[in-house]
This record gives sequence, structure tokens and C-alpha cells, in this order.
Amino acid sequence: MEKMILVFVLFVLYLNADNVSDNELNKGCLSCHEKEKIPSRLIYKKYLLKYSSKDRIAKAMFEYIKNPSKEKSSLPKQFFLKFSLKNATNQENKYIKKQIRSYIDYYDMIKLLHL
Amino acid sequence: MSHSEKRSLVRFLAIYLISAFILFSIASWLFYSSSKQQILNKQMDLLKYTSDNIISKLRDLHKSQSKNLKYPSSGKVQTAIYDIDKKYIYGTIKAHDELNDSIFSDKLHVVSKISPYYLGAAYLLAIKDINYSAMTSLRDKILIFMLIAGVVFIIMGYYLGRLFVAPMRESMLQMNRFIQDTTHEMNTPLSTILTNIELIEIFGGCKRNKDELDRIGIASKTLSHIYNDLAYLSLNHKRHRDISNINISKLLRERVGYFSSMMQAKMIHVKIDIADDIFLTIDRNDMTRLMDNLISNAIKYNRQQGNIGIVLTGMGINIIDDGVGINKKEISTITDRFKRANSSEGGFGVGLNIVQRIVEYYAFTISIDSILNEGTNVSITWKR
Repeated sequence: MEKMILVFVLFVLYLNADNVSDNELNKGCLSCHEKEKIPSRLIYKKYLLKYSSKDRIAKAMFEYIKNPSKEKSSLPKQFFLKFSLKNATNQENKYIKKQIRSYIDYYDMIKLLHL
Repeated sequence: MSHSEKRSLVRFLAIYLISAFILFSIASWLFYSSSKQQILNKQMDLLKYTSDNIISKLRDLHKSQSKNLKYPSSGKVQTAIYDIDKKYIYGTIKAHDELNDSIFSDKLHVVSKISPYYLGAAYLLAIKDINYSAMTSLRDKILIFMLIAGVVFIIMGYYLGRLFVAPMRESMLQMNRFIQDTTHEMNTPLSTILTNIELIEIFGGCKRNKDELDRIGIASKTLSHIYNDLAYLSLNHKRHRDISNINISKLLRERVGYFSSMMQAKMIHVKIDIADDIFLTIDRNDMTRLMDNLISNAIKYNRQQGNIGIVLTGMGINIIDDGVGINKKEISTITDRFKRANSSEGGFGVGLNIVQRIVEYYAFTISIDSILNEGTNVSITWKR
């Protein structure tokens, strides 16, 4: 009986851990994106079109987040006529990279494919 | 058709057919290669077209807002998409981590670049099994065409060959007709000369001119020998053979005696080794012609004071001389009619042809070994 309880607790913790990750992504990225009406899925698609591989996308995103510029942005230049550039983040690199990975996984289009 | 005509016809046909076959084979191969390439190109174009369609569908998928994206597939064409680093993303082809189209060399395959990178795909690999049925059908058609062309060429070649040997055949026939006519006219005067020489010898007359008479005798015997050969050739197919068991030891001694005056005139030394009472079932005239021709050749193509060896055993007859010999290249054709290895001596070149005919008729075996300027060894063997 004790073993069963232990397995159940571990399972709940595992589910929560996943939620925590999504929550972290929400907290670190998406909440703000949504507030600013930034189309995250569209942006990811733009990155896909431009950089192809996840590693390259991750690298490009990281460089943009650390040092934002119009040239590094995947959005068209006209976008910045209306909206300003985001500020450079002062978060830790490790945290940013983790968030980027979560972001890529969250919007991964390949997961949606089936035969 | 004579042996030499057949040989000329066969040679002509062989050259004609082999060259026609080589030319046709090269032309067919070139045609097949070019057509095969065209078929492959068509299949490849179709594959490229399918690839373009799939890329177009990838673009639609990329734009789609749906969370359920069906990967585009197309019949027998298998595809896979790879990112810019050539890493496998997705597809109907079983996953290969890296894009490497060389592993599909036995199939039709095409790698299309995708730009921009819909769904992150930079390359689309499309593969399809090669459809060999069109090529097999083409190959079969070419083979049937070659077969029909081959039959037509053989028939044409045969008729062309007959036309080709016709002049030779005509000249041979003319020569045969001439020999037949001449032979017929020679018979009576030759018999008269030989009979009268024999009568003079029997009655002992004309002792003062014995040498001259001997020379007339030798010349007449030579003429008689030629006559007998020509008569044998021209009448051979009409003549009735009287095949009986004859004593060829006795006959050979007679024939050596007949040619003794010719040998003496040339001071040829003869060594005879004739086994007694060798009997053979054969026509006497055939055996006489065989022996006469072998002995006559050994005398004719010998040098002054040369040597001749005549050996008869139960197994065969052997005539050896140390005369002019025969060129190695000509040994294989020496038994052809009108063939003369050495034109310095007279004759029609029919002697060994007669020997060959007799050998073939009685299923004997003939072997001619000769070295130019050293001598000749003709050996006839039979089964007891």
C-alpha cells in the first residue's frame, strides 16, 4: 500500500514538473508576449523559414534576446516602425537557453505532423 | 559445289554476317542506351514534378493554423525532409539521421532544395523504384528485330555469296569441260604410242636408239599418268567400282616397276619395304590411282639423285621423299583440286585431290608431313 502511495505521489510530482516547465515558459515569455499581442507561433514560423534547424533557431533567438536589433529580429523591418525593440534581458544565459528550448518545443510544428 | 567454292562461300558469309552482326549490335546498343536514358529521364521528370508538388504542399502546411498536419505523400514516391544541417526531420522514408542520397543509387532519387525553409525543411529527398518494364519491353523488341534482321541477312548473304562464287564456279566448270574433251581426244593416240614402244622393246628392234626410245617411253608414261588422272576425275561419278579383295603388295610392286624408268632417269634411289600378301577390299583402279599419284609426286618433286622410301604394312602405306617439300601454310590446302605447291613441275594439280577423294570414299586416313626443302612424308592408313 505504501509503495502504491509513493508511486502515485511521484506521478503527481512528474505531472506538476511538466506544468512547471510550461508555467515557467508562460511566466518568462508567453505571458508578456500575449500582453504585448506578440504572435509567438507566427514568430516561431518566421524563425523556421529563416533558420531551418532547431539549433540554429535557438542560437539566433539567444543572440536576439541578449542583444536585440532590427537585423537580428525575424520580424520585418516595417514592424519596428510601429513597435519598439525589446530591451536586452539580464537573465542568466542558462535560464534563457532553457526557456528558448521550451519555446521551440512548445511551438514545434513537426510534432503536429502525421502520415 | 566444290570444296573450294564451299570454303569461299563460308568465308564470305562469315565475314559478311560477323560484320553485319557487329554493326547491328553497336547500333542496337546505342539505340537501347539512348532510349533507356530517355525512359529514365521521363521517370525522373515525373519524380521532380512530384517533389515540386510536395514542396508546394509543405508550404501550405507551414501556413496552416491547424494542429493536425497531414504529411503529403504521393503514391509510390517516398519522401523525407531534412533541415539545413541535413538532419532528418520527417518523412515516409525510414529515418536516416543524415541526408545521404548515394545509398539510394539503385532507385530513382532526387534531392530538391527548399527555400524558404517550410516547416524548417531545407531539403526534400524523393525516391522511387525504377520501372524496368518499359526497358524490358524495349530490349525484347530490339532482340526480336535483331533476330529477324539476322534471318534476313543470312538469306541475303547466302544469295550474295552464290553470286560471289558464281564466276569461280563458271571457270571451274569450263576447266572441267576442257579436261573432259581433251582427255577423250588423248586416249587413242596415247595408247598407240605406248603399245608400239612395248612392241619395239619386245622384238628388240631399234637398239641403236635405246636411250631415245626410253625417253619417249618415260614421256608417254607421264602423259598416260596425266590422262588416267584426268579420266578418273572426269568420269569418277559415272564409273562403276569393282570392289574386291586385292593383293595390294603385288599391285604396289607393279606400280613401282611402272615408274622405275622415271626414277632411273632422275637417278633416284628407292628403298622398298613391302610386306607380302597384304589384301585390301578396294577397287583396283582406285588403289592404282592412289599409289601412282603418291609415287609420281615423290618422283616429280624430288631432286636428282634423291631418295624415296616406300613402306607397305597391314595398317597402311607410307611414301617418304627428301625432295622439295611443301610450304607449311599450303599443307592444309594441298589436296584441293588444281592446287600445286610447286609450279616448276608440270601437271594439273589434281593428283592429291584424287588421293583425297579415294581416302574419303574408303574412310582411310591421310597424313601429310612436310618440311620445305627437306622432304615429304605421306601416310595413308586404314582399318583392317
